[in-house]
Amino acid sequence: MSDQSSQSQSLTNNWDSLQVEVAQYINSDVRVPLQYSENTKPLSGFVQRLKGKHGRFRGNLSGKRVEFTGRTVISPDPNLKINEVAVPILMAQILSYPERVSHHNIERLRQCVRNGPTKYPGAKFIKHPDGTEISLTSKVRHRHADDLKYGYIVCRHLQDGDIILFNRQPSLHRMSIMSHRARIMPWRTLRFNESVCNPYNADFDGDEMNMHVPQTEEARTEALMLMGVQNNLCTPKNGEILVASTQDFLTSSYLITRKDTFYDRASFSLICSYMGDAMDPIDLPTPALVKPVELWTGKQLFSILLRPHAKMRVYVNLTVAEKNYGKSGETMCPKDGFVYIRNSELISGQLGKATLGNGSKDGLYSVLLRDYSAHAAATCMNRLAKLSARWIGNHGFSIGINDVQPGIVLNKEKKVTIDKGYGQCIDYIGSYKSGSLDLLPGCNNAETLEANITGTLNNIRERTANVCMNNLHWRNSPLIMSQCGSKGSPINIAQMVACVGQQSVGGRRAPNGFVDRTLPHFEREAKDPDAKGFVQNSFYTGLSATEFFFHTMGGREGLVDTAVKTADTGYMARRLMKALEDLSVHYDGTVRNASVCIVQFVYGGDAMDPGQMEEKSGLPLNFERLFMKAKATCPAVEQKSLSIEEIDKTMDEIIGDRLSESTGTPEGESSQAFSASSNKEGGMETFDNSLRKFIQKKYPNSDLMLKLNGKEHPDEDKGYLEKIASNICGVTRQQLMVFLETCISRYSLKKIEGGTAIGAIGAHSIGEPGTQMTLKTFHFAGVASMNVTLGVPRIKEIINAAKKINTPIITTALQSDNNEIIAKIVKGRIEKTLLEQVAKSIKTSQASRSASIVITLDMTKIQGAHLSVDAYTVKESILKTKRMKLKEQQVKVLDHRKLEIVMHADKKKLQFELHGLKNKISKVVVKGIDTVERAIILNEAKEKDPSANKKMKLLVEGTGLLSVMGIEGVEGRKTTSNHIIEVQHTLGIEAARKKIIDEIQYTMSSHGMTIDIRHMMLLADLMTFKGEVLGITRYGVQKMKDSVLMLASFERTSDHLFNASAHGKVDKIEGVSECIIMGIPVQIGTGMLKVRQSVKPIELTYGPDPIIS
Amino acid sequence: MADEDYEMDGGYEDEPMEPELDEGVEVEEDNENPDDVPDPIEGDGEEKQEQEPVERPRKTSKYMTKYERARILGTRALQISMNAPVMVELEGETDPLEIAMKELRERKIPFTIRRYLPDGSYEDWGVDELIVEDSWKRQVGGN
Repeated sequence: MSDQSSQSQSLTNNWDSLQVEVAQYINSDVRVPLQYSENTKPLSGFVQRLKGKHGRFRGNLSGKRVEFTGRTVISPDPNLKINEVAVPILMAQILSYPERVSHHNIERLRQCVRNGPTKYPGAKFIKHPDGTEISLTSKVRHRHADDLKYGYIVCRHLQDGDIILFNRQPSLHRMSIMSHRARIMPWRTLRFNESVCNPYNADFDGDEMNMHVPQTEEARTEALMLMGVQNNLCTPKNGEILVASTQDFLTSSYLITRKDTFYDRASFSLICSYMGDAMDPIDLPTPALVKPVELWTGKQLFSILLRPHAKMRVYVNLTVAEKNYGKSGETMCPKDGFVYIRNSELISGQLGKATLGNGSKDGLYSVLLRDYSAHAAATCMNRLAKLSARWIGNHGFSIGINDVQPGIVLNKEKKVTIDKGYGQCIDYIGSYKSGSLDLLPGCNNAETLEANITGTLNNIRERTANVCMNNLHWRNSPLIMSQCGSKGSPINIAQMVACVGQQSVGGRRAPNGFVDRTLPHFEREAKDPDAKGFVQNSFYTGLSATEFFFHTMGGREGLVDTAVKTADTGYMARRLMKALEDLSVHYDGTVRNASVCIVQFVYGGDAMDPGQMEEKSGLPLNFERLFMKAKATCPAVEQKSLSIEEIDKTMDEIIGDRLSESTGTPEGESSQAFSASSNKEGGMETFDNSLRKFIQKKYPNSDLMLKLNGKEHPDEDKGYLEKIASNICGVTRQQLMVFLETCISRYSLKKIEGGTAIGAIGAHSIGEPGTQMTLKTFHFAGVASMNVTLGVPRIKEIINAAKKINTPIITTALQSDNNEIIAKIVKGRIEKTLLEQVAKSIKTSQASRSASIVITLDMTKIQGAHLSVDAYTVKESILKTKRMKLKEQQVKVLDHRKLEIVMHADKKKLQFELHGLKNKISKVVVKGIDTVERAIILNEAKEKDPSANKKMKLLVEGTGLLSVMGIEGVEGRKTTSNHIIEVQHTLGIEAARKKIIDEIQYTMSSHGMTIDIRHMMLLADLMTFKGEVLGITRYGVQKMKDSVLMLASFERTSDHLFNASAHGKVDKIEGVSECIIMGIPVQIGTGMLKVRQSVKPIELTYGPDPIIS
Repeated sequence: MADEDYEMDGGYEDEPMEPELDEGVEVEEDNENPDDVPDPIEGDGEEKQEQEPVERPRKTSKYMTKYERARILGTRALQISMNAPVMVELEGETDPLEIAMKELRERKIPFTIRRYLPDGSYEDWGVDELIVEDSWKRQVGGN
């Protein structure tokens, strides 16, 4: 018996052990009873193989390792074109391209084969059509060369002009991988034109970059056509130019276009020759000065750069206000800050970043790109790169210690400013200690002091910075760099020369690391500037020990910030990408996901391509500029300008004809459905309306004309004057027609194309700026002390559709918004008021069997705060409060400001219950909304102008939108919250969608980033198209997508796989992730259509061929 | 950072279903397309002829999208690189892509584009019917 039982005992043991083994075979993380987990050698179960970043799904299926790649250090070379990259010869001998032998290339390939794998333009293998592969290492390659036949494939070395893909991690947007043409060069680095640094976000401090060689003709073509640098000069984020001149190119352009640069014939011709490679003809313009010597200006050099010879038909017209533009006077700006280019001639202005740099929409390159072609912009960039690199090499530009030495004036001025500021701070501290500080709205004593001192100290820094900038010599290198925008800001210069300024940690002055003080060098409770991290020295004079310490504190915060946010934003970008990856524009103009479920009927409400928008606010065209161009390129000469009626007539004709014809649909009627649906979102109107409106603004009924008609003039004078007036503001028929024609034809080319992976672009456009946001989380919403979360945390809240957000704020409109007292009354109604806040006293009295609490209200306080509270309302609110458990009889109102609460209980308990009740009673909300923390009155009207009508609104901190809207005096229709989920519950899904758009836009714009609204609309639509707000989280994405493979490659791999196998799920392989995993072309972009050979049916002639023809 | 909280139950309870094999069929069909490229003669001229009298009017844009352009040029360049007869006069071009671009410029590429609408129906557009935006003109040579 005992034998049997021990046997069964060991059987169950073994059974359990087997169970454990099997479980661990599947998932080694599974929790196991202790006795089985003795051998602690790390196991890797099936689940572990699949999941995680390096698992099968994300590591091997969604991303694969490839051949024909290279990676090395990068360096700059301004002599390369922007679409070229210099590939080291060593790399070119390893990377190869399989070229098929045809009669075009057979001799060239023969030579390659003869050279073999070690001599440069050589080849590595020959592939025969039957699949045999011959290595060319041996000497017999000469015979192979002679035997080369059509149809063989030669794996030749990389050669000049081959197409390669060039990439730098982190690949945050599509411009992080672009296609260039190879240029085989000696030495060991990959080199490219500095103008292309921006899209890759590369610098040359040791960065490495990758290159890939596409191996088929199709791959090359697609790479060139879709990923080429020339086709990606603009970011689809907002249509701003991204590939543009940087750093030295800007500096030298700035110096060249100075008003006082003149060149004689020899040097001018020399500089002209810098621009090209002695390939382009250049027409020398008429010299600006003819006597006593011929002299050309630097500005003329730029006219040549834009239009080297008369046959080139590029007429650029633009006006840009540079950084140092004096805000008035236009071309007559004393600092020469107004750039005016008319018909490719630089009339005025010193060129700087606004004209030549990235991130602008009216800059030179943007205009070239839009009005002419990508090619025109690219060649211009090439010319400028060459010119400026060579010019600045001769001219010289350097920075030395004397550039940052402050002058006597500056030192004196600085001392005065600092002394004055310090005195002010000490005054503040004094009044703080005596308690006589005037409080700022919504702040307590200490906060007010901090705000005041911070303001004063920042003022000191600014004042000294201004003095410093004004006193620097005009040849000072840092000053030049900051003025033209190539590097550095006025603050950087001031920190070097004058004063480093306040160091901050977490948005405040340096915190107390010791007991009541920052450092033991100071007294306790010291609040003076020095003790809290104000650095009055400059980097030139050197920091004192304590200053240095504070400076490191600030510096470290920055470092920690960058380290933390990369992980955060990376994960955010990945989630966005996974959620949006399969959204694309279909041929019918709708935006749908992979399972053809409609997300938007018309992309962005108007079917425009965000990457091609020319106007700053995201409208398709910048009419003002186009109109100027039309007027400049078609001079009126003899033609008469049109009257208003004539303009109207022409406009109606052209708009009527062209717009209907160019909507792009050939077969009439159905076009209505596509084009008529442009809605009014984001202030966008239909195109022809906005065009009409613009023309109406340009009617020649300006003051000048009226003046002319008003006064008496002799007849011949009148004729002249009219001519002048029409020259200034009239429009000829030709000008108008050219203008309308360009507008309409260009508009129709800006439509988003069927097949665009607009989801992925949107995800990039929101994810990439996220990485640039400093983690500066807080911002004062109009009033100091009213913080709102901003930056990455806020974006995260929005796209997570978080139920609980950090700083919910209800922006409350008032029914009468010009009366401060009414605003205060409403504020009182909203804000939570506790009984203890309005009670003069809460007294307990105890008899032997019963006890009571007597509450006396402080009526003066109540009236002062405009609350309508008396004993009766207090009674009601006490009874309404649930936890009280009081009966109505227990609460007695003595008079309108006194009430008594009677208690009955055991003698033993009475004492305790009385105190408990007293505590509870004092926290009863007598007025206002429970979920609201506080409300602040905000006057939106300008404070300086007291006569202006006041425009009050309330900012309510907290949730409870519904109750706030119900409060008397609140304009419920204009009241909204920044809490998206709450908005959805209160106002509905459409309101939530609008809120998502607005909030993302607000957050982005408060960091100075502009993102096209269409991207935000797409994201918001994706988050709301299921009828509820879905966050871009694992839970939300799960509800949006049906594909198992996609979900498995996102998060919780094994859960989704187990689930799918248990329920027999079917995956149709239609999304992007699934197709990549299966290795199938994706049904987006080029994969969306089929190409078929159209062969005319061969006409077969029956019967024998004619013998004689 | 996000692959935590696993629970091992659920996956084992129910019986596994029969694996279904036929899901890939649709996709494979689409995938066949590049295959008929190398052999231009096999093109389905006749089949197209039958479908040509489309009853309803075509309603997609008459502009060629950049994806269509890239696809056509890629396919054509591949054909040319494999010694397909060139439809235009050459002026010393040897790069297949450059030749393909010249062909497109002269609208000599013998292809039809089949645009699929989301409901699965399609429209056929000849390359010569579509308007090609001409900003691509000189993209090959650089200068």
